Amino acid sequence: MEDVIYTFREQTWHLSAHRAIFWQEEQALIVSDLHLGKSTHFRKAGIPVPANIGQDDLYRLQLLITAYNPVQVIIVGDMFHSSENNDVPYFKLWRQQFAHISFKLVKGNHDILGAHLYEAMNVKVYDTLSIRTIHFVHEPCDNSEGYTFSGHLHPGIAVAGSGKQRLRLPCFYFGRNCSILPAFGKFTGLAMLEPEEDEAVFVIAENTVLKVN
Amino acid sequence: MKNKARGWQVITEWLAAHDRQPFVFQEEAWEHYIQGRSGLVNAPTGYGKTFSLFLGSVIDWINQHPENYKQKTKNGLQMLWITPLRALAKDIARAMIEVLEELDMPWQVGIRSGDTPVSTRQQQKKQMPEILIITPESLHLLLGQKDYPKVFTTLTTIVADEWHELLGSKRGVMVELGLSRLRGLAKGRAPLRVWGISATIGNLDEALDVLLGKPDATAVIVRAQLDKQIELQSILPDEIEKYPWAGHLGTKLLPKALPIILNSKTTLIFTNVRSQTEIWYHEILRQCPELAGAIALHHGSIDMELRVWVEDALHEGILKAVVCTSSLDLGVDFRPVDTVIQVGSPKGVARFLQRAGRSGHQPGAVSKIWFLPTHSLELVEAAALKAAMKEQLVESRMPVLLAFDVLVQYLMTLGISDGFHGAEIWEEITGTFCFRDMTEDEWQWILSFLTTGGEALYSYDEFKKLEREDDFYICRSRQLALRHRLHIGTIVSDAMLKVKFISGGFIGVIEEGFIARLQPGDAFSLAGHTLEFVMIKDMTALVRKSKAKRAIIPSWMGGRLPLSANLGSVLRRTFSEAMSGNTTEPELKILQPLFNLQEHLSHVPKDDELLVEKITTQDGFHLFVYPFEGRLVHEVMATLLAYRISKRQPITFSIAMNDYGFELLSDQEIPVTDEDVYALFSLENLSTDLQTSVNATEMARRKFRDIAVIAGLIFQGYPGKHKANRHLQSSASLLFNVFRDYDPQNLLLRQAFNEAFFYQMEEARLRESLERIYNNKIVITEPTQLTPFCFPIKVDSLRESLTSEKLADRIKKMRPQF
Repeated sequence: MEDVIYTFREQTWHLSAHRAIFWQEEQALIVSDLHLGKSTHFRKAGIPVPANIGQDDLYRLQLLITAYNPVQVIIVGDMFHSSENNDVPYFKLWRQQFAHISFKLVKGNHDILGAHLYEAMNVKVYDTLSIRTIHFVHEPCDNSEGYTFSGHLHPGIAVAGSGKQRLRLPCFYFGRNCSILPAFGKFTGLAMLEPEEDEAVFVIAENTVLKVN
Repeated sequence: MKNKARGWQVITEWLAAHDRQPFVFQEEAWEHYIQGRSGLVNAPTGYGKTFSLFLGSVIDWINQHPENYKQKTKNGLQMLWITPLRALAKDIARAMIEVLEELDMPWQVGIRSGDTPVSTRQQQKKQMPEILIITPESLHLLLGQKDYPKVFTTLTTIVADEWHELLGSKRGVMVELGLSRLRGLAKGRAPLRVWGISATIGNLDEALDVLLGKPDATAVIVRAQLDKQIELQSILPDEIEKYPWAGHLGTKLLPKALPIILNSKTTLIFTNVRSQTEIWYHEILRQCPELAGAIALHHGSIDMELRVWVEDALHEGILKAVVCTSSLDLGVDFRPVDTVIQVGSPKGVARFLQRAGRSGHQPGAVSKIWFLPTHSLELVEAAALKAAMKEQLVESRMPVLLAFDVLVQYLMTLGISDGFHGAEIWEEITGTFCFRDMTEDEWQWILSFLTTGGEALYSYDEFKKLEREDDFYICRSRQLALRHRLHIGTIVSDAMLKVKFISGGFIGVIEEGFIARLQPGDAFSLAGHTLEFVMIKDMTALVRKSKAKRAIIPSWMGGRLPLSANLGSVLRRTFSEAMSGNTTEPELKILQPLFNLQEHLSHVPKDDELLVEKITTQDGFHLFVYPFEGRLVHEVMATLLAYRISKRQPITFSIAMNDYGFELLSDQEIPVTDEDVYALFSLENLSTDLQTSVNATEMARRKFRDIAVIAGLIFQGYPGKHKANRHLQSSASLLFNVFRDYDPQNLLLRQAFNEAFFYQMEEARLRESLERIYNNKIVITEPTQLTPFCFPIKVDSLRESLTSEKLADRIKKMRPQF
């Protein structure tokens, strides 16, 4: 699985095809919208979706952590999909192998678990988080104060070519005022973005990351 | 002997008192019915098909209770009458009640459908009427009630009305499953009599087999030998040169249709899609304002109440014209209707016959139908339809096989009522046509899908749906049961929003995607109103009346039907006949200048030729091919060709098609020559080439949408409580991805691929046509400009793409879309 190195705002960002960003200067792995526990939530309600999606997502996160060896993991919201279920103890167990890495969650609209549960999972919860000049906020907003990194949207982009071809792919978006991360969880959909000319967009096509704008 | 039986005598006397005489096929059906047989009645609408079976059961009852049939009440349910349309139920009930009253028989006739009020349902629970008219969905709802077997203890007969309509659909599978349970319940009693009523289709014998499930040597098909005369006349443009080469509206010819409407008592104007009815309605009013109040429109997205009003008004004869879609294909007769206009191609012979039959109901009367072309080439279809009618080439309806989604739903339905024993239900459903080839493995998979969610049990799992106690399966969650009850059915529509006036008053429903593109203040058209969009609130689009001159016409998905194989083959012949120069058909004669131009620029293919046109425009390099096999076959054939060409060199195509042919468009020259073109249509390696070329995944993804809803994977919320449970929402497309990546053996996923191959790709038909083409002469021309044949494909078609370039290379050539 390859990544693309993008220098932006004088920082070095590794954009991984696994839908994550590694921030070299801060040794931080940044992911958003994991929606852990989603398939379990569905199954509890009698909707038989595959049970192992969340575990597969965590396995991919594990691969990324092993590859980049970060000191911190920043989750830009929607870490768990809904109320408590058996994926919480599973995460706790999984988390133990990375006890030395700090997990920081910037609260998203889906993050409704009780504070004690985050504590038990050894995850620090923030409403917003600022590191250097970057503000992490779950929902993208026009923050004139500085530059924000967000998630929430599950951004995708439709690309078109000659012969009237069209494709819809997940993407990293670097706008004037904010960046939006692709959703990390595989049990998530796409919301189409319409970037301006001067904004950078990287699509994730299978195992590669490509700049399209 | 038959005439001596009491019941027979009562009925013939009653008919004679009304100066009527039974049709031969009715007497035939009664006879078989009295003998206790099952079967199929083949008769057109308006010829007493209802009486052929209803009176049969009355005769039988009187025969058995000659002394006291006028006194006997509370006899329990005798006959289930399954109808596909709620609207039909009322009329059928009315007709039956009339007869029963005149015969002084105290039988009750009840209706059970989504519209039946709760009070009536409760009454029915206490005492079932002797005859219950029911929709397939409501039948399953009955099977989902506690103690449901009690309802059916006295049942002797089931009739599936409009069986041809149900046959090719998953609602037909619901009927098959319902029948299998009712047969199971009747074990140890006299076998149930099961009858179908069907219009003429190409596979009547098979239609009977599906109804019966297991072969029954005594079952019969009763055919009404009634010649219904149909006359087709085209509305011709004055100057064919000025009539558009492409298009699908046809309003240009409205001035020529207006006199026909004005000179008729009541006219039905059939269009193919809902948006077209809206456009036609507005255009008629614009050109002929005096018709205001005397015309109406009718399609599936209009409020039920309004539709019922339109239907009643048609009965009363107070409407001059109704613009409609297939929503009025079915149903009882509207006697005042004396004229039918078909706008654009009906796409199939059976549908055309059905629509033509909506006028001229008196037995023996000629049904007249006008054909109004939406673009010039469509006139050829009129000529082809005439030939097809003459030769009685009516399409078959293919029964649905192994619809696991419907089975999952059905088992859950049994689970929420009394529960079921696996062995017993296995026996019953493998006795249906749909599931007779189901394997033991598939059955076990379905059961585990419902009990463990398809996963082997492991400690973290919390799946809950059906509970298993040895071989007994039951749902013990009241919440799940409630939710399931709301989801029973197989008609899946797009996410629809209700449209309501701010001041109150329901207008209809509209696709969510359409509303999403509107800004507040935009004007759009629905049910003939011009409306201003105000806002969305609680899954309802609020609107007010608008005075805007221009309004956006919503487009509803899914209206476009492909050309049938029958019509396609007649069409090829008709083209070749047109060029022979000795045709007498007015439609072909008027098209002569167009054919001449086509011949001048390129070529008009003969019966045994396939035309291929290579044209270069600023869009790129085009390859047009004309097999006349209908859009679905073209979609697959085009993809196959594109794939085979792309094996010669890396190349990317965009593909477009209509019912006549298809187009491959590329940014590079397309390498096809007279010599190597035949290899493109070869049957060699067809299966492998198909598997790799066709975007089966995308096709299956589309098919999966309905499957996911029917199998209960899509959480649709509770009425009025949509906001809660937001965390359970997901799209079918997302579920499809998830199953594909994490559970590729999932049977519902496999069903989606099968449906894509068999129904979408029509694989069998594709093989046949490839074989035909391979043995034909392929003519390649290189016109310097667009031809009359290729024009409609280029400007008015649906597009797909195929590539042999690497995804990354393609994206590098692409630009983001804004």
